[in-house]
Amino acid sequence: MLTIFAAAVLASLASVQGESDTTIAVPAGASLTVNNFGGAIVVHAWTQNRVKVHAEHGSRGRIEVSLVGNTVTVKASSRMGAPSVVDFEITVPQNMPLTLSGTYTEIQVDGVKGPISAETVDGSIEVSGGSGNITLHSIQGSVTLADATGRIEVNSVNEDVALSNVSGQIKAETTNGDVTLTGVKSPSVEATTINGDVVYEGTITDGGTYTFNSHNGDITVSVAEGANVTISVATANGDIDASFPLPLQRTDRGHRYTFKLGTGSARMEAESFQGDINLRRPTEIRERMQHRDKNRNHEEN
Amino acid sequence: MNDQWTDRLSEYVDGELAAGERTALEAHLTTCAHCRATLEELRKVVARGKSLEDRPPRADLWSGIHARLTPGRRPAGSPLGRPGVIRSRRFSFNVPQLIAASIALVLLSAGGMWVALNQPQRQDGQLIPAVWTGRADAAIADLQDALTHNESRLDTATVRVVRENLALIDRAISQARIALNADPGNAYLNLHLADTMRRKLELLRRVNAIATAQS
Repeated sequence: MLTIFAAAVLASLASVQGESDTTIAVPAGASLTVNNFGGAIVVHAWTQNRVKVHAEHGSRGRIEVSLVGNTVTVKASSRMGAPSVVDFEITVPQNMPLTLSGTYTEIQVDGVKGPISAETVDGSIEVSGGSGNITLHSIQGSVTLADATGRIEVNSVNEDVALSNVSGQIKAETTNGDVTLTGVKSPSVEATTINGDVVYEGTITDGGTYTFNSHNGDITVSVAEGANVTISVATANGDIDASFPLPLQRTDRGHRYTFKLGTGSARMEAESFQGDINLRRPTEIRERMQHRDKNRNHEEN
Repeated sequence: MNDQWTDRLSEYVDGELAAGERTALEAHLTTCAHCRATLEELRKVVARGKSLEDRPPRADLWSGIHARLTPGRRPAGSPLGRPGVIRSRRFSFNVPQLIAASIALVLLSAGGMWVALNQPQRQDGQLIPAVWTGRADAAIADLQDALTHNESRLDTATVRVVRENLALIDRAISQARIALNADPGNAYLNLHLADTMRRKLELLRRVNAIATAQS
């Protein structure tokens, strides 16, 4: 049956004004590719080997769902004129690899356990779940990732990047925004921004490498008691501050200072040109983040 | 501040010191903060080099680069050349050269391939930032020209956001340059400037790729 699916091309053209639904059975190991010029791509997971595509679109919108080989492709196009705006809600098998892209597109993924690639120009990306290669890129929107594991590369240009409860190799980057990493279990973390703060609350694994860099913002990093890490800190115009004793005699500006905690087997680099370098215990950062979230919720309400 | 061990640190990192020298250097390291800091820089350079992605060069660049990288290669059958044998070459670097190499690696990873063909110049063991940043500036200028050509394919709001972020990076580069001019030998400032310029190259490259894809 699977070979029949693999060889077949299933095309579903739905042009009903307003909304359309398409459900197709997929072979094990199938992947999903969605391209949507404008609107939303929302992906949920279920335990069935079927892909369900619900689309809401204008009268000129044209939705194409096809299975070619092992790839389900979902496209939105317009019969005439400007590309249409479509809101997709797609339900996929839990382990299905996803490749999602758009221009003016908000992307949300929830509950998927496979690799995820998501890219948009003007829209946020919000992902919960995922494993393997996870790459999330937005130019104008924020990017958040939670409860994921694997080789993670997340970046924005003009908004914040936030990762929580993630593990694996992690690279997070933005230009004009904060990078916040909490609940991280990783031997390899790189977090950088030009104009924003970097916060890291997570483990420091023996032999691991951790790089935190900002130009205009503060770097706040958790260092658990008993961590074995060689820490290199540098700031041109900021201060270096730790909530625990450091084997550091002086903190002249403009230079890098290196010191060893425990065996020093992990390597951490924390640098900011204009901002401060703050070394804190994990509980201090968690409390600070809870306090910040509480304040944000209060402001929003 | 240099001492007799400073220029031996790269050999130490590479595990090339004799046992006696290694022991003596390790004893020296316990008392010399300058050498410890320099050693950290070297290890950082090595780690950074290892972490770079292995991106293939563009096909149209490679033939010229290959020819320039192997200028003395003789044709098979010539008196000094053995056909099918590629001699391994051994390189040794001092500390400023390694810092220069790290800057070149950073730029290479962002597309400044030609930087590798000209080693950053030094005077009295110090990097001359104006030299290598000049080359990076040229690469950035090329990508900015491409963006000017391509930006009509992008939404005006996206163009505005990109330009604002490029201006943000430019300010960071300018501040790093001023600091570096006052302290040219500062390894942190050298690497920070190189990293910031790499960020600009990457942003330009990414936006150009998006604009091209939308054509």
